[in-house]
Parts: sequence; structure tokens; C-alpha cells
Amino acid sequence: MATTIFIIMIVLLLLGFPMMIPLLVATFVGFMFMFGNLGQMDFMVQQMMAGIRPASLIAVPMFILAADIMTRGQSASRLIDMVMRFMGHIKGGLAVSTAAACTLFGAVSGSTQATVVAVGSPLRPRMLKAGYKDSFVLALIINASDIAFLIPPSIGMIIYGVISSTSISELFIAGIGPGLLLLLLFSAYSVAYATINNVPTEPKASWSERAQAVKNALWPLGFPVIIVGGIYGGIFSPTEAAAVCVLYAFVLEFLVFRSLNLPDIYRIAKSTGLITAVVFILVGAGAAFSWVISFAQVPQAILAAVGISEMGPKGVLAVISIAFFVGCMFVDPIVVILILVPIFAPVVETVGLDPVLVGVIITLQVAIGSATPPFGCDIFTAIAIFKRPYIDVIRGIFPFTVILFAVSVALIFFPQIALFLRDLAFR
Amino acid sequence: MDETTENNPHESSLPGVLGVIDSAISRVESVLLAAGVLMMAVNTIANVVGRYVFQYSLFFSEELNRILIILITFAGISYAARQGRHIRMSAIYDALPPPARKGFMVLIAAVTALCMFALCYFSIGYINKVATSGRVLPALQLPVYWIFLWVPVGFFMTGLQYSLTAIKNIVSKDIYLSTRVLEGYDNDEQEI
Repeated sequence: MATTIFIIMIVLLLLGFPMMIPLLVATFVGFMFMFGNLGQMDFMVQQMMAGIRPASLIAVPMFILAADIMTRGQSASRLIDMVMRFMGHIKGGLAVSTAAACTLFGAVSGSTQATVVAVGSPLRPRMLKAGYKDSFVLALIINASDIAFLIPPSIGMIIYGVISSTSISELFIAGIGPGLLLLLLFSAYSVAYATINNVPTEPKASWSERAQAVKNALWPLGFPVIIVGGIYGGIFSPTEAAAVCVLYAFVLEFLVFRSLNLPDIYRIAKSTGLITAVVFILVGAGAAFSWVISFAQVPQAILAAVGISEMGPKGVLAVISIAFFVGCMFVDPIVVILILVPIFAPVVETVGLDPVLVGVIITLQVAIGSATPPFGCDIFTAIAIFKRPYIDVIRGIFPFTVILFAVSVALIFFPQIALFLRDLAFR
Repeated sequence: MDETTENNPHESSLPGVLGVIDSAISRVESVLLAAGVLMMAVNTIANVVGRYVFQYSLFFSEELNRILIILITFAGISYAARQGRHIRMSAIYDALPPPARKGFMVLIAAVTALCMFALCYFSIGYINKVATSGRVLPALQLPVYWIFLWVPVGFFMTGLQYSLTAIKNIVSKDIYLSTRVLEGYDNDEQEI
């Protein structure tokens, strides 16, 4: 049964069916194997409804809405400006600023694609003008935007948290360490790149210019304070933090900056609704799929076949890392999380791994895989936004993949990179 | 959102009365989507503000969000089908020659439509089961099956969209991702 289901699923995925179909058809086939008739199919619908029911999932549309408001407003440009005034003048400063602005905007929006649009679009022309090669620029933007996966808020983490019953607050806080480590390493590579290729530096900003830029960015900087401060301090649940972000984004862009007007609200709400629906139908289908394979003990069968029980915790983490990395090279991260998390759930429990650590490692792998050829979905985001051919987009990616890989290995051997802040806040 | 969408987001490709009905449905769906999201935002924000400022949680907040998320999801899947916005892994498909792509698109749309109609049927069965159980939402005191009424409608409309996509690909020369979206049409402004 397991083999049939997975073959059907992979074939349908690769043929280009909408991603809900492989999940739904696999679930349907699973039900047919188990019950042998159509009489139990209403149960499949019931599982789908149960999948989209958890109240914590409401954080997803709320964070998307906040990001959608900000992407169309001024928050991003003000953050970019501030970072630029501080880092622009060092060697590779423009690249370091881009990485830092991506991280900062990731802390505001939680969406990789929003980060590529909001930070990548304005900064790429500036970097090209300054003398960086396009292959480096594109790779930097894609990979630095992926830091948004790890920095709270993170939509992938919310979905992982819901389906694995792990604290989303703890996941958010644990993502910060690895996210900042990545920023540090990307910055180091940027400086090295600029030095080797002798990219000219930008003029240094005066302290009064810097003060002005900080003042302009003060409002958008409230987002990380609300999200990280609110969750870290135990004031907000992630859903509440998301709601406050929506209110804050609305006040900022509509009342303070006046960059958007009321008709924009309708368009933004519609666009958020569309993205939400596309994600939630997958979450529902994923829940039904996960129920069917768990009921049929498929995960246990697969894991036993791999011989995972003899591997020990580090071996299990390595297997999980590879599975998610490879998965995301081909398919959308949310689909990979929906399919693979329930498969690994039993072994994570048996080996006694910290589900928060597993969540952070999964999120990191999802980030790497999405930026890795052949089919990482960020590559296609970049192709769509920057209108560059596939080959140009992937040319400069390799050094970043090496850095990301090094961080993955580091995370398996030094889990404190992720868990230090979490333990400080919650233990 | 592409330019056609800007000019007339609800323009239908169907002839005559069917076209009028189709574009009316598109309008209704997009209003439901936007209203659902805004109500959810207001509801969630009001609950937070109520809890921290007035020490008073909205007793129905969670149930209202549960109703809204089902509304958004099932109004949205049909709207997304119309706009060709469902996530797919199209890398292999894109590499095929046009005649093969066309054939595949007919197959994809037809199978997807079939799945959606099947789920529409199954969800009616589910609603019947919930209705006979007579459960009510604890806070709002509404029958639970009410909140699922969107589900078969959403599946049906999505199935319809994909059926039309299949037909459109059979009768016309070009390849269509949805009834409204021609393959390869470049989006100027990228939505997140």
C-alpha cells in the first residue's frame, strides 16, 4: 500500500498537477486500501476539516496579511535605508546590507517571497551598479531571503508546530540563533567576495544621516519588538502577535506613512485570502493524508526499512535533514512539511529528540532545499520577479549552499545554537 | 496581478448568459474572500485588544474564526483555480513541447475536476452526518453543519473551473492554465 501511494503521489507531483491533487489522490487510494469501498469517504472530508481547525493556524493568514500590507507600503524601504547607512561603507557593504535587510524584513514579514520582492527588487539594481556580478547578487538575495524562514514569524514553523503539536512560541525563539548565524556567515562571504573581486565601496554616511535613517525606521522596527518581545516575554501567543502586527501594519501604512489608501485594503485582503486558501487546502489535504498513513502504520514500516532505530539521535537528525533537503529541492516547502513530518513523528518520539530542535533543523533544511537546484521553489520566485533565465539564477548559488550545509551540520552537533535562547526564555 | 486582471478582474471567457453568471460568481467569490479576511482580522484584533485592555475575551472569537477560515479556504480555492494560482511543480511540464503540454493540461484539468466533484459529493455526505448528529457550536449556538455548507459549494465551483479549463484547452489553439490565464503570460507585479 505504502509503495503504491508514494508512487502515485510522486508521479502526479512531477507531472505538474496542482499540489493538492497528489495529496488528495494518495489519501483516497489509502482509504480504498483500508476500507475497500466509498462508504467511509465522508471521513476523509472530516479529516480535512480537522486539519484546518486548529486556532493557532489563524496566525498564518494574519502574518500574510501584515506582510502583504507592508510589502506594498514603505516599511521595507525605510529598513533598507537604515541598514545601508550603517554598513554601506565597509568592503562588500552593499551585499552585507542586503543580507541584513533581508533578515530584518524576515523578522517583519515571515515570508521568503515577500522578502525577495520587498528587499531584493530595490537592492539588486543598486548592487549591479556598484559592480557586483548578477550571479552573486541573485544568489545572495535568494539565500538571504531564506533567513526569513528561520527568523520569527515563520509560516513553515507555524505549520510544523501545529501538525507536530510543538510550541510555536518556542520554535520562533529557537529560530533566531541559527538565523543570525547564517546572516553572519553570509556577511563574511560577502566581504570576502567584495575583497577578491575588488568591488568599490560606498561613501560613508554621516552620523546625522544615520540618526535620520534610524528615526525613519523606528516605526517598522516595532514589528520585531512586538513579535519577538511579545512572544519571548510571554505576553502574546503567536496568533495574538500576528493580530497585533496586522493592526500595527495597518496603522503604520494607512495612518502614519499614508502610503496606502482604503481601496488598497480590498485588494490586499483579497490577495491574502487567495494565498491563504491555496495554503489551507493543502494543510487540509495534508492532514487527511497524514491520518491515513499513520492509521496504516506506514511511517513505522518506512523507518524500519531504513533501519533508523540503530542510528541514534544524531543519525536520525541527519536522515531527517537529508529527507527535507531533498524534498524541498523538488516541491514546495509546505507540502514537504505536511508529508514528511508525520512520517518522522514516531521516530522523533522514540529516540527522545527535542521537537523544537527538530523543527528548527527542518526549517533550515527547507530553506536550503528551496534555494537549491533543480527545482527549489525560491529559484522560480527569482526567475518570475527578476525575469532572468534559470541558468543565471542558479550560477552563484553553490558557495551559499556550502555555508548552509555547514550550519546544518553545526546545528546537529551543537543544538545549543538553536536551543540557547529557547532555554533562556522558557526553561 | 496581471494587466487583464487590473482592467477587469472578473471578465469571463464564456459566451452569453453563461459568461454573465460566471463573472457574477467571480465577483461574489472575491468579495467573500476579502470580507472573510478583513472580518477575521477585526475579530482576532478585537479579541486581543479586549483581553489586554479590557480584560474581556470575546467568547465567540474562536468559533467565528473557524467559520471564516472555512469560508476563505473554499471561496479561495475556486477563485485560485480561476486565476491559475494553485501551487504546482511545473518544471518538467514546462520542458515538454507544446502539443504534449496541451495534452497534459487537458489531463491535469480533467483529473483535478474529477477529484473536486468527488470531494463535493463526499462532503455532502459529511454534512449529512454532522447534521444528523445535531451538534451545535458551544458559544454561538449555531448548528455545526452550517459552517461546512461552503465546503461542497467550493469544491463544486473549483471542479467546474477545472472542467472549463479542460474544455477550453480542447477547443482553442493556445494552452490555458485556467479559464482566464493563458500559459506563459508574464505577471508584472508579483504577489506574495
